[in-house]
Amino acid sequence: MNIQTTTPKPQLDAEVLIVGTGFSGLGLAVILEREGTRDYLMLERGHDVGGTWRDNHYPGAGCDVFSHLYSYSFRPNPHWSRTYSKQPEILKYLQDTAEDEGIYPKVRFGTTVTRAEWIEAEDLWQVETTTGTYRARALVSATGHLSDLAMPDIEGLNSFTGKMMHSSQWDHDYDYTGKRVGIIGTGASSIQIAPEIAPDVSNLTVFQRTAPYIVPRRDAPYSEAQKGMFARFPEMLQDFRKELFWGNESRFPQRLQIPAFLAQIEEMSRGHLEDQVADPALREKLTPPYSVGCKRILISNDYYPAIQRENVTLETTGIARVDETGVVLTDGTHVALDMLILATGFEATELPIAEVIHGKTGRLSDQWQDGGQAYACTTVHGYPNFFMMLGPNTGLGAGSMIYMVETQIEYIRGALEYLAESGKVIEPDAKAQADYVKSIHDRAERTVWIAGGCQSWYLHPRSGKLTAIWPDYMSQFRKENGTFATEGYMVRDATVPA
Amino acid sequence: MAFTPDVVDGEITHDGRTIRTYDSAPHRRGEDTIVLLHGTSGSAQSTYWALFPMLADGRRVVAFDFVDTDGATADTYADQARAVIAALCDGPVHLAGCSFGAVIAANLAGTTPAIVKSLTLIAGWIKTDIHQHLRYDVWFRLHEEKSAAMPGFMVMTAFSHAFLTMRLPGEVDALVAKIGDGSDRYAKMLFNRTVDITDAVASITAPTLVIGCTQDQMVPIYHSKLLFGAIENARFAEVPSGHAVAHERPSHLLMLIRDFIDEPERDAPGTVHAPIHA
Repeated sequence: MNIQTTTPKPQLDAEVLIVGTGFSGLGLAVILEREGTRDYLMLERGHDVGGTWRDNHYPGAGCDVFSHLYSYSFRPNPHWSRTYSKQPEILKYLQDTAEDEGIYPKVRFGTTVTRAEWIEAEDLWQVETTTGTYRARALVSATGHLSDLAMPDIEGLNSFTGKMMHSSQWDHDYDYTGKRVGIIGTGASSIQIAPEIAPDVSNLTVFQRTAPYIVPRRDAPYSEAQKGMFARFPEMLQDFRKELFWGNESRFPQRLQIPAFLAQIEEMSRGHLEDQVADPALREKLTPPYSVGCKRILISNDYYPAIQRENVTLETTGIARVDETGVVLTDGTHVALDMLILATGFEATELPIAEVIHGKTGRLSDQWQDGGQAYACTTVHGYPNFFMMLGPNTGLGAGSMIYMVETQIEYIRGALEYLAESGKVIEPDAKAQADYVKSIHDRAERTVWIAGGCQSWYLHPRSGKLTAIWPDYMSQFRKENGTFATEGYMVRDATVPA
Repeated sequence: MAFTPDVVDGEITHDGRTIRTYDSAPHRRGEDTIVLLHGTSGSAQSTYWALFPMLADGRRVVAFDFVDTDGATADTYADQARAVIAALCDGPVHLAGCSFGAVIAANLAGTTPAIVKSLTLIAGWIKTDIHQHLRYDVWFRLHEEKSAAMPGFMVMTAFSHAFLTMRLPGEVDALVAKIGDGSDRYAKMLFNRTVDITDAVASITAPTLVIGCTQDQMVPIYHSKLLFGAIENARFAEVPSGHAVAHERPSHLLMLIRDFIDEPERDAPGTVHAPIHA
């Protein structure tokens, strides 16, 4: 009897499907492509690679991590123009990566995943998209932390008749020159936008709920000599990268609230405020009311000066509602606006991709009612052959996400190799996953995010658990989660051999 | 400033003198304990302000301030360490020293093997050489002249080029202002000129991790490689840093030390750690 006729080999579009072509998905693709043994396809809802760096192009958009660290270690770029690159240069780096590494032909653009389901009978993932159905042995979600915007819950927001836009959906056709502009939020995006647009608008009102900690931005262009040196001595670039890495790593003790480290960062931010803001009343408004590090520490040299421009107002009275012509404050004052910018960030604790992923036990978002949980921060019980990049507990308070991404790339690469070579199906054991997640939450207890007493986007809104952040050193993340092993997994033969 | 709010300061009396001690978790006395021996700069706080609390996140750590005596030798300093260990610790300890502290730690491990479970030697040396003598000559000359150049000289020799060039000018000024005139390290500098622990080092049997600093201008990494050559049961790791590695890269030291003391014999004697990539 020919076994092929009774149990036909399922039609697969690829061995692996990767959803998303930002830093994480693209990085994984580069490694798979270079390895040359894995058959993969990428699904991308946008029309180019780049993820968050494709979408966030608001005026002044840039990265708060040194470019020589915020780039792939396996694709060093000696030509970064400055310490902290702006968005166009980062996007170009990702586009060049995709081009040079031969990734573009593997991407199905304009393809939004509407439902991904594990078909247990056939041991495969079936992914429904806006452009058709794809089937594969393994599924990698690489849709990022900060890819779906968060809208503020303000009464009357949609009644505003002026120009309103979220920072991540900037409309460059709109000319804000000479306009009355308001910006809601004082996080990382807002403090980049405000200084950039302030000189051109007639007046700018920054609506602040909670003042952020801000430290100096040590930003300078690289000289031609430096770029040439990095190009000719790649080891000098790697040494520099390591220097930056360990500098970041040595900031984690701030998050443990170790007094000497807290004193350093508090002195640095207080000194910066005092250097840049003379008016005591304004200083008071700009002084954060929470422990340093509880929310993201921002870096900027031009935000405080921008706030002190004659045409800029820092508004700390709360917002009551928005009406057709502007913002109404809780004291009844009306601020008339032509343009309202929502710099209110992203969905970080409840990842939208979880809504469409269905495993053996249902929808992932239902499993994660009390916050995301994953084994090795990457795999989920009930979701065989599924891998999540930048999922639960992979964010950082001090460091480069690219280090986390590369750690997961190596883990997933190893797992995919195992799947292909063994023909097995893997899924983390429920207890192994629960124990691992508990070890993370135990560690979180000693950090400022839990102990520091402030609400932040790092905490899951319902459970109060720290689900967005890795509460330990980056090196420890790599030590624990950098190498795939079958320990902690339920391993079985695929019912239908691939 | 206290290392952490939980650290208990204490003192013991040894040879008629009072030694100040710091214990991160006295209630965990029976557990494995890391004992830190500080460098020439005078106190546990000045060497280990970063590393002590970082290691104490999860492990019991004990440190103390060496007391200088006239004509102190490696043995008299090691006696102080033995006295602290006897007073605060049950069973053998994970002993770690930096610079001068590494010299004393090596001497102790070579002469009292029974109380050392593992040994970590950071930027240490066996015998003072002519290159070090040249620097000491400059240092003592500046000291005798009460020279205003002393703080800058100490900062320049302690920190690496990479570390200093990453700082803002005001931050380098602050380092110079903070380091002092050197008088707090005079007694240990006299001792440092005379170091020769060749015999003790030859007797070390405890699993050892030697950490050398690639940009060390005070105790060039050559000395750490000599220690690695001299200690049969040693592993070697290098850190791209100046002599002030405990200030420049505390997290890097933390990873190396945590990993080592978790299982000191995991890597075979003679293992040279591959560089950690970022």
